[in-house]
Amino acid sequence: MIKPKENKSLLEREPRFEDSFCSLQAIPQIPKIQLKETRTLVSYVRKFNDEVVRPLALKTDLKTFQDPDYLPWDLVQKANEWGFYTMFIPKLFGGQGWSLPSHAYVIEEMSSACVGIANAVFVHYLGFMTVLASWNLPLINRICRDVAEGERTGNPCLITLAITEPGAGTDVEEVELVDRGKVTCYAEKVKGGYIVNGSKIFISMGHVSTWHALIAYADLKKPSENTVMLAVKTGMKGFSFGKHEDKMGQRACCASELVFEDCFIPDDCVLGDSRDFPNSQIRGTGELVNQIIHYVVEVTRASVGAFGTGVARGAYEHALKFASENAVDGKLLINHEWAQIMLAEMYKNVIAGRLAYNEANYSNSLKGGVFNFLQIKPLYYYMKFIPQPIIDVFFVPFYKLKITNWLMRQIFVEGQSLEAQKRCSGWSSIAKFFGTDMGMKNSQMALEMMGQAGLRHESGAEKILRDSKLLQIYEGTNQLNRINLFNCLIARCVPQARVFEE
Amino acid sequence: MLTTIKCELKSFEDLAHSFAAKELTANREEHDRYPFGPFFDDVVTKAYEVGLLGATLPEECGGIGQDISALCIILDHICAADASLGGIIFTNALAQEIILAAGNKNLLSAMMEKAVDAKGALIACPSFANPAENGVTLEAVKVKDHYMLNGEIDYVVLGGISGHALVPAKIKGQEGYTFFLIDTADKGYAKSEPVVSLGLHACPAVDLNVVSVAGTLVGQEGDGAKYFAKASDRMHAAVAAMQCGIMKGSFEEALDYSQQRCQGGKEIINWSGLRMILGQMAMKVKIAEMVVSEAAQAAENQDRQWYLYTRAAALHLSEQACKLTTDGIQCLGGNGYMKDYGQEKRFRDAKHVQAFLGLAPMRKLSLIRDMLS
Ligand SMILES: Cc1cc2nc3c(=O)[nH]c(=O)nc-3n(C[C@H](O)[C@H](O)[C@H](O)COP(=O)(O)OP(=O)(O)OC[C@H]3O[C@@H](n4cnc5c(N)ncnc54)[C@H](O)[C@@H]3O)c2cc1C
Repeated sequence: MIKPKENKSLLEREPRFEDSFCSLQAIPQIPKIQLKETRTLVSYVRKFNDEVVRPLALKTDLKTFQDPDYLPWDLVQKANEWGFYTMFIPKLFGGQGWSLPSHAYVIEEMSSACVGIANAVFVHYLGFMTVLASWNLPLINRICRDVAEGERTGNPCLITLAITEPGAGTDVEEVELVDRGKVTCYAEKVKGGYIVNGSKIFISMGHVSTWHALIAYADLKKPSENTVMLAVKTGMKGFSFGKHEDKMGQRACCASELVFEDCFIPDDCVLGDSRDFPNSQIRGTGELVNQIIHYVVEVTRASVGAFGTGVARGAYEHALKFASENAVDGKLLINHEWAQIMLAEMYKNVIAGRLAYNEANYSNSLKGGVFNFLQIKPLYYYMKFIPQPIIDVFFVPFYKLKITNWLMRQIFVEGQSLEAQKRCSGWSSIAKFFGTDMGMKNSQMALEMMGQAGLRHESGAEKILRDSKLLQIYEGTNQLNRINLFNCLIARCVPQARVFEE
Repeated sequence: MLTTIKCELKSFEDLAHSFAAKELTANREEHDRYPFGPFFDDVVTKAYEVGLLGATLPEECGGIGQDISALCIILDHICAADASLGGIIFTNALAQEIILAAGNKNLLSAMMEKAVDAKGALIACPSFANPAENGVTLEAVKVKDHYMLNGEIDYVVLGGISGHALVPAKIKGQEGYTFFLIDTADKGYAKSEPVVSLGLHACPAVDLNVVSVAGTLVGQEGDGAKYFAKASDRMHAAVAAMQCGIMKGSFEEALDYSQQRCQGGKEIINWSGLRMILGQMAMKVKIAEMVVSEAAQAAENQDRQWYLYTRAAALHLSEQACKLTTDGIQCLGGNGYMKDYGQEKRFRDAKHVQAFLGLAPMRKLSLIRDMLS
């Protein structure tokens, strides 16, 4: 019907087939058993919602108003007992090794019951992803083993990502902006390590976490090429916590200030220094830093889309319940046609949000996506069924070898084409701003349907609205994510297009 | 400020503006902590003393005797600073309007004569409910020449801080409902703790349980819906004014912040993406000002079908305010989400104010019903 060469060129036209049908391409490659795993996880988290999240959601929120010093230790303890902090850490690093892509479904599920608590549980994986994106196996292994040990001993060990600074929020998310911004977190190379000075703000779960993936800069004038990723442990000398914020919502999840005063970080806690990155065929130093940031957000922004979808669902479920039980003008609300249409609209918003984060997930499963490697079937099954001690004996000793490090870089750094990076990053931005916009839309609609009843704290609906707003701000504001989408998937076909140049 | 409102009302603008600047802005976050912090009694007392609680109350009842435009101007300026006080003024004015619509000026003047403080002057009412829509839960029984009220009623705004409450009740065996004025000092008047709510924290509501509370009949038996409709038609203009004020507050904060905050090497206002958001906000604010003044004028002049204008104004500006205030947070990034800035409060308040006077979708439907009738 059509010649292979012609076929290729037609499919490479915008919208490119490769970018448009991620699920179609990814599903045949995905190990079948992943479906079963996802089913198990979704039912597990539903149980967690029934037993932990719902009973605590409003209570915890209220507690934070009564006691501004409240920190969510109790929640962390519960989530630790239920195994959520090691759930998606690969067995290679001592975790439970459930398939990483399933985490988005789990997030949606938990967020539908309380996105504040879901954030308190899953922002840990933002930290984990940052540690992972350094591809520094010995340190990844050390930190993840601490998390596993924390689970075993009942002393939760969580990881944060600390990148935002008082003077730089959007700027630190974009390598193109960071050199023009006012970053202040300075890492000076000294014998045996680095000395860090400066502060980070809004760090989710900071006060209750053990490891912090800190992004600092060895040259404040040219941070893009002098980015240092450090693993800082709570208790290290010179590292302390400042205040935690008084937020509108998601109050179960604290946002902390991290303060560094002549804080010495030894070499074995350095995740990476961009000045030491080996030369790359396709990327300069700044682009390598950009790749790391994007590896993180390719996963976590899609997760925020799942948070948003969960919120949209929670709002819808509240509205549905209210409409089914309350009469307006002498008739159950659910039997007013306009209300049925509104509920259908809300339902659609949930589904569409889910489709978006799913597609972003599938994009990450395709070649060049971060999930791709672990989903290679033989590797996947091997990892799933092999006992942990064997991994510990036969794999872990290799982490320190130079060749292993080289291999990781070949797979994840060089192995990711710029096209794949753009596809993954673009899709995760779509999932992020679309899902979170749907969360906002549905939480507004639920309150419109519920009127006076929805205003009360105990209704839960007003909390959903308060919680939902955060999602449009963090992990890059929704505007930044729109610009990122433009940059990744639109600008490439318009050579004269320039981003951040006005 | 509001473009077409008569200039002789300038004095109200000045009054409200300076009151807001002096009493509200500085302590907004602290006032908003209620019920987890102290109530701003002193502010309410001052509002009472300068006459903010009696703008539309006739002079013979001890009020200022102004029409709805003056109330709108006051609410606009107060809400730009702190919509909680706006909610108090609104709820009190709604109760007064219902009593006036029922032709019971005398009740108000007697009450105001006795009032020695803000509490004595304030009248609580369930200002978020349209009783005809939600159903009426209180029951009134006529005993000789007076009425006894029994039952539970939710979300009576100001019910914990006022001397009186205006509540709807059903008289056994009758169609429709009737308004009664009750004394909050009555032995049978039991109130809950303040209801923890989305917004307007310092405009608290309580749930009431009344047991054999004496009620003074307001207007005629069974005519409650008529009075509510009449009063709420006028008060929709006031809702619009509150939203206009909230929008202005949010816009001004965003405009201010975006000139201070730098990202990408320049003030964020100089990124056209952000400037476009500000442009959209500015557009909404300017339209809101026009809408409020026209709606208030229409109500004052009793223009043909004026009530459609006031209701449309409230509905439209509520939608706009909910949209604008999320952008108001967005412009401040993470800071917008924190209590230290007024933006998160305005976002909550706008959504809260949208719920005044009954379910918004039902009010939209009522536009068509009334256009056709
Ligand atoms: C509760 C909470 C939890 C958080 N958790 C974490 C965490 O765990 N770890 C972490 O590192 N960070 C965290 N953050 C920080 C978050 O990622 C930042 O708030 C976010 O990136 C926005 O940065 P900012 O707040 O400095 O806003 P700014 O960057 O100052 O932005 C202000 C406004 O300007 C706009 N703007 C900025 N630059 C441009 C531009 N070039 N073009 C157009 N518009 C622009 C923005 O879109 C926004 O509307 C958290 C934030 C919050 C609120």
